[in-house]
Amino acid sequence: MLSRVAAVALALSWSVAVAQPVPAGYPADYAQVIAAANKEGKVVIYSALDTKAAQPLIKDFSALYPGVKVEYADLNSTELYNRFIAEVASGQGSADVMWSSAMDLQVKLVDDGQALAYASPEVPKLPAWAVYKNQAYGTTFEPAVFIYNKRLVAADEVPQDHAAFARLITTRADKFKGKVTTYDIEKSGVGFMFVVQDSKYFPGMKDLEKGFGVASYRVYASTGNMLEKVSSGEHLLGYNVLGSYALVRAKKDPALGVVLPRDYTLVLSRVMFIGKQAKNPNAAKLWVDYILSVRGQKLIGSDVELFSIRNDVDAEYTAATLTKQLGPNIKPIPVSAEIVTYLDQKKRLDFLADWKATLAAGAAGK
Amino acid sequence: MRASALAGLPRGLTILVTAAAVLSPLSLIFYQSFLTAPFFDARKTVGVGAYEFIFADPDFWQASTNSVSIAAAMVVIAVPLGALLAFVMERTDLPGKRWIEPLLLVPSFVSPMVLAFGYVVAAGPVGFYTVWATELFGSAPWGIYSLVAIGAIAGLTHVPNVYVYASAALKSLGSDVEEAARVAGASPFRVALTVSLPLIQPALLFSAVLVFFLGFELFGLPLVLGDPEGHLVLSTYLYKLTNKLGVPSYHLMAAVAICIVAVTFPLVLLQRWLLQNSRKYATIKGKAGRMRELPLGRWKWVAAALIGLWLFVGVVVPLSGIALRAFVSNWGYGANLAEVLTLEHFVSVWDEPMLMRAIRNTILIGTVGGAIAVACYTAIGFATHRRNDGWSRFVDYLVLVPRAVPGLLAGLAFLWVFLFFPPLTPLRTTIFSMWLAYTVVWLAYGMRLISSSLLQVSTELEEAARSVGASRGQVSRQITLPLIRPGLMASWLLVFMIFEREYSTGVYLLAPGTEVIGAQLVSLWQGGAIDVVAALSLINVVLVGAGLAVALRFGVRLRD
Repeated sequence: MLSRVAAVALALSWSVAVAQPVPAGYPADYAQVIAAANKEGKVVIYSALDTKAAQPLIKDFSALYPGVKVEYADLNSTELYNRFIAEVASGQGSADVMWSSAMDLQVKLVDDGQALAYASPEVPKLPAWAVYKNQAYGTTFEPAVFIYNKRLVAADEVPQDHAAFARLITTRADKFKGKVTTYDIEKSGVGFMFVVQDSKYFPGMKDLEKGFGVASYRVYASTGNMLEKVSSGEHLLGYNVLGSYALVRAKKDPALGVVLPRDYTLVLSRVMFIGKQAKNPNAAKLWVDYILSVRGQKLIGSDVELFSIRNDVDAEYTAATLTKQLGPNIKPIPVSAEIVTYLDQKKRLDFLADWKATLAAGAAGK
Repeated sequence: MRASALAGLPRGLTILVTAAAVLSPLSLIFYQSFLTAPFFDARKTVGVGAYEFIFADPDFWQASTNSVSIAAAMVVIAVPLGALLAFVMERTDLPGKRWIEPLLLVPSFVSPMVLAFGYVVAAGPVGFYTVWATELFGSAPWGIYSLVAIGAIAGLTHVPNVYVYASAALKSLGSDVEEAARVAGASPFRVALTVSLPLIQPALLFSAVLVFFLGFELFGLPLVLGDPEGHLVLSTYLYKLTNKLGVPSYHLMAAVAICIVAVTFPLVLLQRWLLQNSRKYATIKGKAGRMRELPLGRWKWVAAALIGLWLFVGVVVPLSGIALRAFVSNWGYGANLAEVLTLEHFVSVWDEPMLMRAIRNTILIGTVGGAIAVACYTAIGFATHRRNDGWSRFVDYLVLVPRAVPGLLAGLAFLWVFLFFPPLTPLRTTIFSMWLAYTVVWLAYGMRLISSSLLQVSTELEEAARSVGASRGQVSRQITLPLIRPGLMASWLLVFMIFEREYSTGVYLLAPGTEVIGAQLVSLWQGGAIDVVAALSLINVVLVGAGLAVALRFGVRLRD
């Protein structure tokens, strides 16, 4: 009796495997990965992207691979990292797939030997800067933007580049004092990463920092808070806000305006890798490949409302459309060893101390 | 011999489990504070680097100063107001007292996270009331993000904590001395200041220490209100350290926690000592006779107006703000409220399985979890009831320990315990982990509820049972327990409300499966999902309100 049940189950799982052809262009032995993934039956994903936002991807993936159940947990990027290392250290195993906007923390985990080496068949379609050691991959193309309150800031006042932003908040303190907001770089890893990149591309960064001091800027831990405060008019201008979220909200919110800075626009890419101790490594491979595939990227560029990183995808939000708008001034933050520089405690604290000193100097009018 | 050894077993076990639940997380924090990396990291070394770091950090000193000044401001505001409120409520012919009384305690049952959020949407720079005031008068002469404002709001919302103790003390005091003063021509205000309040000095001193202590632990209010201008207090400084170095700085957080405990634990002991001392004062009180209400005369309306104003500022403003914000899609200057009304936020809560789980878990942890917690507290109560040995004294102090640890860090320590203590690991992603943390964090509160019930059982009944040969266990089960049943029901209700209100303990324990509204609010607030925060806050207020309504219906005394 028991063996008959087992036989039926085996036949069923076989039929599922047979029903799933290898995606076009993938090596033939990919069928084995699919079969093994079906046997694993699920994939555990830790992600910094809201479950709600990721829902279209989860649904579509489940339709593609009905034998693999998606267990998706959303946490903020710091918590994600903390939980992962604690769980790995406790030997209980952690997420199969880590997907986070804290690019530096993700790269650090790869450097610490926590990622599984896996050369996705989609790699040739990705920009070179988005592939790290064939272990971690950039999956999105999200610009850092300025936001403003359309009701309270006149169209001709709105700064279009970084220098104009710095000038505006420095010279119009009467209007903007206490009304400018950006990330709290002590609380948000993403915010910190952005300003480190800014100091690379923007020669007037010190003036901007001083301007923040002059305007007694207000800082928050997340983009959501900045969007809310600018939309309500409590603040007027937001700096280095995640464009993916801002543009989506601006579509529905008549008070919110978004600017892609003309001189250069930083781009963040959510980094994904498979955990070295993943319990479901094959299912994890399916997920990573799916996210990087045209099918997954198309959703990312439409229903998920992030930006597709691939240039060959036709959707509303893509790297291609942004590049067309901004040309060479688009500056993606590379998934590379360089971005972990400031995870060194001393360097980070020095950077923070310098940042604060410049702010204070600005506030004191020096 | 054998029988008596067995008879001691349940008690021994209870004490052992309690000690383990209280001391293991705390010792983990203590150990962590003397390391250079997370305790599970192979690269850690032992040292005092964490303390050196925080003592060298100007933010730490700024946060300490702020904590002390906010706590002091709260004492200055809450103690006189609470004392006067108690006098007016207990001693005078204030109109509508029966209606006012239950309202007075509302601020202490609403989650501080919810209150703070309510102030932002109601009285913040673009809050509903601010916008209305600006439209009517041209400007709104208040701000809620300054240190002074935080202190004032915290002070006003802690008035009930003083009121509870002051009014209890006044109740046990005869009114004959006050009448004498009245006959001699003193005004009601003068009677309060020179006769009544000096007589309840011990209770006021106790509540001053309590309020200072609560101020030192404040988290939700400064987290929300201190953010825009960057005002830190110790608990929010600790929270900020989560990310300051880019990678987890558990050692720094643990060191800050130990610094906080170094202040709060002595305060907890001081409270205990004051409470015992105030009982000794009991002999000096006036003769308890029939209470006579002092006529307030024309002061009547002044008093009523002041209480009304306080209720308006402390309850109506924040709660109405939340209620309104939950039903509008956007707000601020230029937003026409009639045009932006929506039920969308509740729909998105409904659509989000994680948030629905949070609501279900929150109800579950208050009802079922609250009942089990009360059962645990009762077991511990019985382990020490009518026994004056070393173990009882040990438990007495033991239950005070978690009171001194900030909930935020207690939660983190419990996360570690659930990660690294193998028998518990399968339970980590269940609501059990959250429940255990809640139960331990609120141990002192729960024990006070239970022991006040136990103290009401007179010894004769128990002794009678003993003298006809009942064992200790039989006495507990068949005599004492049935007698304190009403007290236990009341405790369950109070614990329900406390568990619905709790938010900081769950912050680090939050995981798929353990979601609760309180912790979810902190996380969503940080993420800026304000629409959902508003809807969830309102749901939370409704849950607490339901508990409150049941409590009032059954005449439960809302004070510990």
